[in-house]
Amino acid sequence: MFLKPKAGLTALAVALMTSALPAHADFWSDAGAKYKGVVLHGVTESSPPSAYIKDVLAPEFEAKTGIKVDIETTSWDQMYDKAIKDMEAGTGIYDMVYIEQDIIYAYLQRNFLVNVSKALADNPALKAPTYDESHFTTFANYFKNGDGDLFGVPMEAFIKVYLYRTDLFNDPAIQAAFKEKTGADLKPATTHEEYTAIADFFTEYGKANGLELWGSTAQAHTGHPASWYEFFESVAPTFGVYNWGIDASNNYAASVANGGTMNSDKAKEALKWWLHLRDIAPPESPQSTWTETATTFAAGRAAQGLIYGENAAWIASDASKSKVVGNVGTALPPLSDGVMADAESGKGYIGYYDGGAFGLPASSKNQEAALLFLQYIGQDEVQPGWAAAAPRITNTATYDAPVVKEMNAKLGGYYDMLRDQGKLFAGAPPYPFHAQVREATAPIFYDILTGKIGPDEGLDAMAAKAEEELTSLGYRK
Amino acid sequence: MQSKKLGWLLLSPTLFILGLFGIFPFIYVLWVSFHEWNPFAANPEKLFNWAANYRKLVFDAQFLASLGVTLAFVFFAVVSEVVIGYILAQAFMKDFPGKAFFRTIHTLPLIMAPIIVGSIWKLMTTPSIGIIPHLLKNFGIDLNIGQSAIAAFCITVIMDIWHWTPLVTLSLIAALVSLPADPFEQAQIDGANKRQIFWHITLPMIRPALIATVFIRLMDAMRTVDEVLMLTGGGPGSATRYVGVHIYKEVFPKTNYGYGSAISVIVLYLTIVICWLLYTSLIAPRNKRG
Repeated sequence: MFLKPKAGLTALAVALMTSALPAHADFWSDAGAKYKGVVLHGVTESSPPSAYIKDVLAPEFEAKTGIKVDIETTSWDQMYDKAIKDMEAGTGIYDMVYIEQDIIYAYLQRNFLVNVSKALADNPALKAPTYDESHFTTFANYFKNGDGDLFGVPMEAFIKVYLYRTDLFNDPAIQAAFKEKTGADLKPATTHEEYTAIADFFTEYGKANGLELWGSTAQAHTGHPASWYEFFESVAPTFGVYNWGIDASNNYAASVANGGTMNSDKAKEALKWWLHLRDIAPPESPQSTWTETATTFAAGRAAQGLIYGENAAWIASDASKSKVVGNVGTALPPLSDGVMADAESGKGYIGYYDGGAFGLPASSKNQEAALLFLQYIGQDEVQPGWAAAAPRITNTATYDAPVVKEMNAKLGGYYDMLRDQGKLFAGAPPYPFHAQVREATAPIFYDILTGKIGPDEGLDAMAAKAEEELTSLGYRK
Repeated sequence: MQSKKLGWLLLSPTLFILGLFGIFPFIYVLWVSFHEWNPFAANPEKLFNWAANYRKLVFDAQFLASLGVTLAFVFFAVVSEVVIGYILAQAFMKDFPGKAFFRTIHTLPLIMAPIIVGSIWKLMTTPSIGIIPHLLKNFGIDLNIGQSAIAAFCITVIMDIWHWTPLVTLSLIAALVSLPADPFEQAQIDGANKRQIFWHITLPMIRPALIATVFIRLMDAMRTVDEVLMLTGGGPGSATRYVGVHIYKEVFPKTNYGYGSAISVIVLYLTIVICWLLYTSLIAPRNKRG
């Protein structure tokens, strides 16, 4: 709801801007005339970027084309349930579905989606003059097949970033206390050791001063896959364990014995490091998903943490929801030796590049009208307001928009980092069995978190379970 | 003959709806349970595998553990609901100031959607903002249902009691109101005390309503999903991964349709068996005597 006033103003600004471009304005009304009265149904995750589509872009599109757009925003897991069931049964309820980067490979394998590039090439009358696939950032590559054809129009893209409290890090008294305790200067950590030292310091500092302050966030829910993701997509890579420790080129090996790295020494070191942080994090951490870590940071309860970029904007700028407005700095995650070199050479990556696209189900009964809407949200023209409302950038030109530059300053250079260093981050590995392996191994991971099983034996068991599941699914021979 | 035909004609819409929404889905689930089917497997087709799914679940430690915690959950929740529900029903049989108000307040949880109940309890139990951990801190108790398996289990039971006790109360009020006054007056004249009246008159007379309520609650508790999924996600670890949650995770995120269907069928079978055991031990002997 906090988006609405801002979204309304942006809608007005965009409407005024686009009304100054008569050649393009005509296209939408002309192309939409044929489909006037059609109602498009979309399902997406309830997130700031999706809220902008629902509240701003959909009404704008409807006003210009006469095509009504009904966007259903729901929880992440419900969104998948609804979309998969619809596409699997071919019922055609949805004309647009949100495709998170990690599920695209499963959808492509099942031919669930329409090839957007081909559909527009086959039907040039539907091609909007303001829509161009080459305008997307390289994040769009995650939604392309081997031939370079696009299967989803990117709608959000962000990195999981290291956020820290500048008010705490720049406080001379705290700096002196930190120097006295550790012998080091207080600055954003670049190594895991530095990060731990800062986290330990602030947890003790909070306790000693009677403050509700801890050293780090931890997305460590003991029954939700968010914790699994934090470890395998954000923590393990910083120790040099990539692609969940599964080697796709080696018969999908997960265990060290078979050539994988899921239970490697590096993975075990990473898990112990993260479990220590969990232990000194705010008490809500065992119940925290990606949403709660953001609210924990926004409530000023953590000095630093790994936070999904989609939440960075409101944490840094929305005083109605955040107590740390104006006090947020961004940095790259702490890394082990060799990880940056791996990322620069393309062998590895330093963290998670998340995001998603809007795709067109092959089962949709309104494919042409839906193609128009997908192009509408993919235009450069609608991007700046969207990026300001939710920190997501999918089109290269958006970085230069004044509103984005202004927000970039508030976010401690987050957009600069996304543009310049986004290439060091990576999305989920291209596995069609994403949720299946996650769900097969997650119960063991939760047992590690509760202490029912140790981290070493736990990772051994997870590697074995992953291989068992991959064999059962027919991927591992 | 004419009236028989008319009877079937009048029944036909009900039978059609029952067949379409009750029997057909069940037969479909039963059919799927005899297949290996995961749409995201290397081979996404349905493969008939006889009873392999049923054989697998007999040795599936995760399923057996989930069944164990479910039975414990059902026992504690249903017994507590019946006891508290009866006490409240008796209380509401008497007149006291503000009775209508308390009865309305007491019934409110019943009209809430389970997912809302889960959300409310999540907010109430989150360590940083929840009222329950905040109050318990005054007694030196550090409640964190993300960490403590016992605490998480207890909170899910309490949440269920909070949500569903009003149903038991309302059912038992209806039963108590309909009891004739004569046996009670006669028992009092004969000098029976309250305990004797309860065991020998009240309980036998409300037994049918009580058993029906227990059956309803037992079946509901066996398939609990929404509240628990929202509150704990089945955690910490597998402490609250009740069979409903287990089936949800197997069928939806994991898309293991065949195996998930087999678990559903077995859980349905177990529920019927438990109800049958209750029936044969509590109702049938009485009917035979009767």
